[in-house]
Formats: sequence, C-alpha cells, structure tokens
Amino acid sequence: MLDPTAGAIEAPVAQSIGRAGRRARGYWAESWERLYSDRIGFACGLLILLFGVLALAAPLLSAVVTHHDPVRQNLANTFALPGQFTFPLGSDELGRDTLTRLIYGARVSLLVAYLTVILALIIGGSVGMLAGYFGGWLDTVLMRVVDMVLSIPSIYLLILLTALAPRIGPVSLNPGNPYSLAVIIALVSWGSLARLVRADVLSVKERDFMLATRSLGASNWRLMSRHLLPNVLAVMVVAASLQVGAIIVTEAALDFIGLGITPPTASWGNMLSNSQVYFYHSLWLVILPGLAIFVTVLAMNVFGNTVRDAFDPRLREMR
Amino acid sequence: MAEATARPQLKSVWTAAEPLLDVRDLKVWFPIRAGLAQRTVAHVRAVDGVSLQVGQGETVGLVGESGCGKSTLGRAVLKLVEPTAGEVLYKGTSLHSRGGGAMRGLRREIAMIFQDPYASLDPRQTVGEIISEPLDIHHLYEGRTARRDRLAELLDLVGLNPRMAQRYPHEFSGGQRQRVGIARALAGEPSFIVCDEPVSALDVSIQAQIINLLEKLQQRLNLTYLFIAHDLSVVKHISNRIAVMYLGRIVEIAGSNELHRRPKHPYTASLLSAIPIPDPKIERHRQRIILTGDVPSPVNPPSGCRFRTRCFNAQDKCAQEDPPLDTVQLGDHQAACFFPVE
Repeated sequence: MLDPTAGAIEAPVAQSIGRAGRRARGYWAESWERLYSDRIGFACGLLILLFGVLALAAPLLSAVVTHHDPVRQNLANTFALPGQFTFPLGSDELGRDTLTRLIYGARVSLLVAYLTVILALIIGGSVGMLAGYFGGWLDTVLMRVVDMVLSIPSIYLLILLTALAPRIGPVSLNPGNPYSLAVIIALVSWGSLARLVRADVLSVKERDFMLATRSLGASNWRLMSRHLLPNVLAVMVVAASLQVGAIIVTEAALDFIGLGITPPTASWGNMLSNSQVYFYHSLWLVILPGLAIFVTVLAMNVFGNTVRDAFDPRLREMR
Repeated sequence: MAEATARPQLKSVWTAAEPLLDVRDLKVWFPIRAGLAQRTVAHVRAVDGVSLQVGQGETVGLVGESGCGKSTLGRAVLKLVEPTAGEVLYKGTSLHSRGGGAMRGLRREIAMIFQDPYASLDPRQTVGEIISEPLDIHHLYEGRTARRDRLAELLDLVGLNPRMAQRYPHEFSGGQRQRVGIARALAGEPSFIVCDEPVSALDVSIQAQIINLLEKLQQRLNLTYLFIAHDLSVVKHISNRIAVMYLGRIVEIAGSNELHRRPKHPYTASLLSAIPIPDPKIERHRQRIILTGDVPSPVNPPSGCRFRTRCFNAQDKCAQEDPPLDTVQLGDHQAACFFPVE
C-alpha cells in the first residue's frame, strides 16, 4: 500500500498551485463578506452607524441645522407641536427643541452603551479567559464570583450602585455622568460574558493546535494572546453586539427612575421620564424618545443577529 | 542575541553511542474524579510501565490500537503530560529534573508532528505565522529578512511553494497541511521528532508522499523519529525497530523485518494477519487471526498478562503471572509472552 519506489513526489504538489502568492482571505474577511450579504442586517448596521455619526455631530447639528441649544429654555414656545419650521419635532414644557435634545440624548445613550460593552468585554473576557485557561482553584473562585454577580437581580444591583455612588479610589462613581454610569452598568453585566468566553476557551484550549504550540515552548502568555484570544474573539464580538441593545434599555430605565443621567443633560431615558406627566397633554413628547430607543434597540438586535450568523463557526462548517 | 541563538547546553557526558531517548519504566495514570469533593476514585492507566530506548538516527515505530497509550507515551516524551512514575532521559538527562529555562531549550531539541492536520494548525494564523512561531519563540533570527528567508527555506524543505506563506490553513489540502505541520516541527532545528500518527488522517496516496518526505528529511537533517501509528504496514516501511503496545505496555519489540517475519507475541501475530496482501490469489487464502472481545478497560486491567482475555494461546499461568518483556529474548527481539507463537 505504501510504495517506497515512488520517488520525487513533492514536485507536482508544489507546482500545481496557481496564484499561490495571492493575499489570502482570512476568517475576518470572509465573515465581513457574509455580514455584507445580509441586506436587512447590514442596513440596520448602517442605521446604527448613522445614529452614531449624528450623535458625534450633535454640536454641529444644533448650531447649523436646528439652531437650538439642548438645555436653553424658551418659555415663550412651550409644547410646540411637531411639524413647525422652528421646532421640527416640537418642544417640551420648557420650550426646548425635541429634535436637538434627541440628538444630544443619542450621544449619551450610545456613549454609555458602547463604553459599557467595551468595559464588560474587558472584565468578562479576562475573567473568562483566566478561568477557562488555568482551570483549577482559579476557575472555581472566579466562576463563583460570576455566579454571585448573576444571582442578584441586575436592576436591584444597579439601583444599589447608583444610589450609593461608590468611590473607587479617587474616582467617585456618580451616575449622573455617562462615564460613571457606564462603569456601573459594566460592573453588573460582565457575568454572562465571562461565562460565554470561559465555555469557548474550554473547547478551544483542548484543540490540538494549542498542544502543538505548547510543545514548541510557547509561554502561557503567548498561548493566550496569540492563539486563545483570536479564537474566542468571534464569540466576544457576537455577545457584545447582542448586548448593546439590552444596555441601551437598561440605561434608559435607570434614567427613567431618576438614577441615571441627571437633568438638564438630555438622555432618551430622562426625556421619557420627564414627559410622562404630559402623556395625555402632549403625546409626542413620550412617543419620540420612546421611538428613538425602540428603533435603536431593534436595529442593534437585528444587527447583532446578523453578526452572529456571519461569525458563527457552525455555519462556516456547513458551507 | 547570540546567546539566545546558541544551542542549549546539554549534559556533556552523553555520547552518540548511548540511546538518544531513554524511557525508563514510565507510568502515566490519569485520575478519575467523582462526587462533589472530586475525590480520585480510580486511575486510567494509559501508560503502565514502559521502557524504551531510541538511538541517534534511528526510527522506532510504535503501534497499537486506539487507547493503548501510544499517544500518551509520545506526549510524555515532550513533557506535555506529567508522568506518574518513571522517567524520560534525553541525551542522558532526565526531562523531569529540568527547570523552565532548560525545558524551553529542550522544546527546540524535541519536536512533534500531530495526527490531525486540521486541528493542529491554528485557523486564525497564516501558514507563515504558524511555521515561524518556533523562530519567534526561541529568537532564531535577526531581522525581518532573515526570518522571511528561513520561512521560505522551511516551506521549500517540505515541498511547499514559499509564496503560500500568506494563506490560511483552510485553503490547503490534508497532505499540504501535514507538510505545514512538519515545517513547523523542523523550524527549531530539532534532532528528535515524535510523529504522532502523522499519516493516519490522510488518503493512502498522500500517506506515501508524507512518509517519503519524512524519510528524506531524516537523511538530510540526521533526525531521530519515534513514529506512532496504528497501522503496522505504515510503520514497517519507515522503522528500524517496531514496538507493539497493548493496554499501556509494550508487548513485543524487534527489528522491523524480524517482527514481520517472526512475530512472537500472539497480539503481534494477529495484527500482522490483518494486513491485506495486494495479490488476489494469495489474499484469498490468507489466514486471519480474528480476536474476540474488546480491549479491556485501562482502569481495571486483567490480572497477569493483559492480553490473556483475548489470547488464543492463553493458559492458567497467564492469569497468575505478568510476563516481563524479556520472557522471549532472541537477540534484540523481545516479547512479553509465556506461550509465544512459533
């Protein structure tokens, strides 16, 4: 069955490859292609991007397009109806332009959402990687901490943290500003990410290439940063994109109950909370920020699903 | 830099006349834990008292069925699993007395080629990154050009086009991937390579290519192989000597031709009888020894001779006494059997 006389057999293998030097399409390039080919999901991604750009350009828009300041009161023009030239989306009880406030609110909501997800990824990702990779007592200790974080209802923990406004070293976590609020929400929401990452690490670390790399003399640090992280990154990206929507809702809820961003700074949550009194009087004041939250979260979730489909390794195998 | 590039200093008393690799009564037991307290209730005796010597420039084949401990033995040689008892000596120095630094040096000296060419390459790295990993780990080059040249040289050595370095493993066929695995193993300039079933996952036509490549490399780079396989016919061609493993023990060891011509252990005899003969006339009259039953659990191996439960020659003595490997001794042909096949 094995013919020892078969001599020079390497040549045809090496030569038969045409276009050998072309730049390969890696995993990320292929995932991007799948992401791009899902029209609805990709459109949602673009919508989120658009909201992001609008939020970033808020000062410019308020100066050039709406000609309103988000916090300056104009008591001569309270409860303006939407559709007018000066107040395209109406004004609130203090005569502030709703459109300008919505754009500034997007700044807060999106900043908090992205910052929270990044922080949660850093905390949850590190904890999950350390627990999964090293195992043993470290795994036990870290995962019991995760269990504890996950076992307390998150809204209760959030209320507690925002109400106490704890100090971490010299930094006081005053939930009134978006950065502190992001830290507080991240402290509550990294648990599920840690679990996901740990589960993925457990399966990746048993694969032969990890053993092969260790047999070459690679350090733990090298194995984790060069091999483990790139292989669990897809799970982290998917989990993060699905979590953004939930965090926007959480942030809005905290604002709504008065524990988040402090007025007069506009956020979608406190705009809702502010306008609930005028529910029967000026419905649009409730509907508009609600709609902003609804559309953003929906787009985030659809986009998150698309990202998951694009990066899911099982889908890859089936192709 | 020059210091880092220098070969690790190994014990100077070792001479090429002594075995390069000396495995002494090695045992690797994996604990089975159960219950809330995770108490150890039993052990899987993957490798249970194996002694084996491999000389410089030699190829020793290691065969046995799945689960007989041959891969575990291979991994213990690279210290990828910790032995329960016994020791592994490389160039006269025990692996287990080595600290972190010396062990890192040893990782260059001993390399491994893995069975599954799909699982053993990181899917997120390009082939170039995979192969040059040992170069990066051990700082084996100075400057980007030196690294690129060495990479091209390695790819060329295993019969791959150096322009393929930019590609990812999934773009390659099984045989090509295995070549990538071989190139990675060669990058650290090892003198000893553990080949853990390097061809089992490949098509038969590709198997021959890889085996020939391994032989060519052995001559060119003066390599020593421990060649693990579950297929005697694959091992016969490449090995100087063959060791047959059954349930964590070596049951027979002999020169490659000697083992094929005069198997002494009933297990070896039955394995040899299973090889088909590529001649329909002879094949039709081939006598096969069909073993009954399954391999017993390595958690609870049979008393006496481990093979007795499936042996056609078994007698009472086999259940009471454990035959040592030198029960049959004909020159360097050894077999652990009281009633060897004639």
